[in-house]
Amino acid sequence: MTEFSSALSVAASGMRAQAQRLTHVSENIANADTPGYRRKITSFEAERALGAPQGAVSPGPVRLDQGVLPVIFDPSHPMADATGNYEGSNVDLVIELADAREAQRSYEANLRIFDQIRQMSSSLNELLRR
Amino acid sequence: MFDRLEIFQLAGGLARHSASRQAVVAQNIANADTPGYRARDVSDFAETWRNMTQENRLGRGEMPMRVVDAGTPASPNGNTVSLEFEMLRGIEAQRAHDRALRVYGSAMSILRTSIGR
Repeated sequence: MTEFSSALSVAASGMRAQAQRLTHVSENIANADTPGYRRKITSFEAERALGAPQGAVSPGPVRLDQGVLPVIFDPSHPMADATGNYEGSNVDLVIELADAREAQRSYEANLRIFDQIRQMSSSLNELLRR
Repeated sequence: MFDRLEIFQLAGGLARHSASRQAVVAQNIANADTPGYRARDVSDFAETWRNMTQENRLGRGEMPMRVVDAGTPASPNGNTVSLEFEMLRGIEAQRAHDRALRVYGSAMSILRTSIGR
């Protein structure tokens, strides 16, 4: 039974991590046109919190993409400098959408496993009811 | 008395084995996007059962299960989890677990019939 409960919490940690990633993706997409915005990158690592089951995952610290910001020429923009340029954001919508799709796929896989484990433990409990 | 019956030990062992296997699958899927994570699997039930002592078969102590590398090719960030394979393993584990419980249940009902209930 402890096997099941630790497996359930591992699957839940996976869902939590993917949801966090999806949050960052939506922040990136929302800020696609914010001048000077650097896209946030989620990288996963093993959960190190005390009492976490073995194999659990956690979203690591948020890192910012250090890629170059595109320079956009628009003299009428309020943030434009003397030459009429300002720095845009380095969010690439195609990358963000691919990332969102990957997060969704992984989330669904976690959910599927969660459901399977739940079914297994409930059919185990079914034995007691006879 | 009933735990001396081989069929119950076998069914119980298979149920425990597939539960542990499912737990490993859950770990793999949770780490599907962790850089450098290597997918793992447990040794199959036949091998595990051979290595179990009598005490062990009665459900005491740890199962002597080896954790093996799943051997799938790695993606560029060093992660070797393939969601499709993990789905397959998860379903295999679930079916093995169901089978074990079904066998356990029907052996139990044979016992019940034999004592007239």
